[in-house]
Amino acid sequence: MAPELHRLSRLIFHLLLLRPLLHLIFGLNVRGTENLPARGPFILAANHNSHLDILMLCSSLPLHMLGDVHIVAARDYFERHKKLFTFLDWLFRPVWVDRGAGGGDVLKRMVEIVDAGGILIVFPEGTRGEAGVMGRFHSGVGRLVGDRPLTPLLPAFILGSERALPREAALPLPVWQHVSIGPPQIVQGSGGDITRDLQQSVAALGRSETAKRQRRREERRQAFVVAVLGIDGSGKSTLARLLAEDYSVDQSTCLIGDELMLFADGAQRRAQPLLKEKLRRWLSAQAKDARSLAFYKIPKISELLLRDALLGEARRWYGPDLVFMDGSPLLNMTAWSTLYRNELMSPEFCARAIEILSGGGQPNDPLYREFPELKAIKRLGLARLHRPDAVIFLDVAPGVSMKRIFDRGEKLQVHENEEKLSRLREAYLLVVRALNENLNLPAFVLDGERDQLTIRDEARCLIDEIRTGIGEATS
Amino acid sequence: MQGNLSSFDWGRPEWRQITPLILLLVSSILLLSARLSRGRLHIPGYLRYLWAFLLVFAVADFVSFTPAVWLLAFISFRALREYFSLVDLRLEDRLGVMGAYVAIPFMIYLVQIDWYGFFIVSIPVYAFIVIPYLVTVFDEDGRGSLLSIGMIDFGLFFFVYCLGHLAYLAYYSTWLALLLLLSVTLCKLVSTCCTSRGRLVGFLLGLPAVVGLSLLLQPWTDVPLVPAVFVGVLIPVLVQMGERTITAIERDLGIDAGNLEPGRGRVLDALATYLFAAPIVFHYLRWIMKFGESVTGHGA
Repeated sequence: MAPELHRLSRLIFHLLLLRPLLHLIFGLNVRGTENLPARGPFILAANHNSHLDILMLCSSLPLHMLGDVHIVAARDYFERHKKLFTFLDWLFRPVWVDRGAGGGDVLKRMVEIVDAGGILIVFPEGTRGEAGVMGRFHSGVGRLVGDRPLTPLLPAFILGSERALPREAALPLPVWQHVSIGPPQIVQGSGGDITRDLQQSVAALGRSETAKRQRRREERRQAFVVAVLGIDGSGKSTLARLLAEDYSVDQSTCLIGDELMLFADGAQRRAQPLLKEKLRRWLSAQAKDARSLAFYKIPKISELLLRDALLGEARRWYGPDLVFMDGSPLLNMTAWSTLYRNELMSPEFCARAIEILSGGGQPNDPLYREFPELKAIKRLGLARLHRPDAVIFLDVAPGVSMKRIFDRGEKLQVHENEEKLSRLREAYLLVVRALNENLNLPAFVLDGERDQLTIRDEARCLIDEIRTGIGEATS
Repeated sequence: MQGNLSSFDWGRPEWRQITPLILLLVSSILLLSARLSRGRLHIPGYLRYLWAFLLVFAVADFVSFTPAVWLLAFISFRALREYFSLVDLRLEDRLGVMGAYVAIPFMIYLVQIDWYGFFIVSIPVYAFIVIPYLVTVFDEDGRGSLLSIGMIDFGLFFFVYCLGHLAYLAYYSTWLALLLLLSVTLCKLVSTCCTSRGRLVGFLLGLPAVVGLSLLLQPWTDVPLVPAVFVGVLIPVLVQMGERTITAIERDLGIDAGNLEPGRGRVLDALATYLFAAPIVFHYLRWIMKFGESVTGHGA
């Protein structure tokens, strides 16, 4: 048959059968046809999820262009079905690629098509891949455009084919197909650079297309909890508040300190009060007025338990992105226990205590004998304290912190003397060591005797680093 | 002149038959002018579907009810296809979605053969039992299946079952279906004109207009006086409820009502209010007109 007759029969097939059927069964919405050059040569590179992709792209092009269209397709896949292979060879005049063999001939053939003013449709992912997930682009198209840098390269994104006929499905499902064609790319650099830029352009088109689709509610993200530790007068409350305010510019934050505060858009926001918060503040006042360590213990433990419960409540009711805790009930209890039993101090001891208090640990741990309170807490089912995601310990010499406490002019609490604060500081440092070495929880020691804003900035850098690390690990 | 007007008989069968054709002609001219005006004349989507329904009813009256009812099946397919393109479905839901598509010809066939008893239970009983099974049959994990079942069932109920009611109403009498469609269109036109004055004003102005329309069409619909007034009150209430519901659904589906792209809410936005009002109006009229007791309409 003469080439003109072939061309005419192909056009008739597209016009009378393929296009009406696609519109009838699926529905095709094309955006960006104004970006198409008036005639070839050009290269259309799209994401690939389904066998429908090629039909959709061909139906997106004006009819007069179809005579010049060539696709790039895998010979090894389609050759298994002889009749289908012959039909596709007639309809799309593909550049057949033998996957696994070298690509030199294919590239040569593609260059020939482009030089002859043809239109090349390529799927740089090479295979259909997982439905709705764009795979890494192969560098062939980059090499081709690198050879012919003046050939317009157009990114395209097809949305819907991954639902209509994904790799896993045998039958097509009638759902709308959206083809978005981007403007021609200005290419520079090596083949690898061009491929990378192209992938970014296709992904950007994809983002704007998929943004219009309904999404199921994302799984509730857990707030990232940062505990700021330090002995009294170390400035931990101030640092926690500064951090909560600083982060609240673009995220919602919650501060659990002497009082519970919420921040958003860089300012404090009002929230429905919580009953537990009121009770906790009363207990905190009782602990501050205690005359001895024995009287201090009960209200303080109760206050710490309530503070921890408050973290759960704040997460549940306010849903913040970040929670800053002035102290951490779990770590405070662990550190404070050393005030009573100084001789037991060691990182292993701290790690075991943290395990028990956060709901783990061994049932016959000898630690229960040393600390009957621990056993009582466990028996009462209260040993389920939250572990923070990051810990910052503000290290201040006890002398300096005592001076700060005196400067505040408030009544001294029972443990606020240099000797006890010194022991407490050592206990906190031990807890930090236990967290880093035994529990693999990021904990940092910052020098608390510097300017507060400097400390805040340093803490922010550390927190951002951890959050980025967690985000990368999750993705 | 006055004598001529008073002797004009609206109830004559010729007028009853020819008026839908006149309405079809007027709406065709309106749509054609909108197309030729290249965007200067904007026609709301629901008027395009009113035209489509008028065409279907013209086919029913002048050709046969069978091709007309299958045209309605195609409208139902288009609406369901758009809905399934918008909702967030999983790969495992394909079989359930396929089941929903299969329900369209099944239900339309029941309308065609006038098997009311099976029609009325086909989707709420059989499809709502089978589709959850189809959704879960290949779902090893099960997470998200409840949401998928809810999504598919809602689409099936709204775009297939409610449209089936409209088809059945048209089966009984074209003018009863037109009463519903014209009343809903009138309500929407009035509420569009009164957008700046608020929903309540639109509703209060739409109410007497629809009651008037219902009474005006009484010679052709054959609905008795009191039920005609009641339908005139019922439809604006249903339109108000429907618009509220559909706005929320559209917002959830991410439909931009100000910029409706093909496949992204055009059909849903245009058709939803008609479908929302259809079942209740159908059941009220069926009860009042005692359709279950005697064979009438296209089955006569």
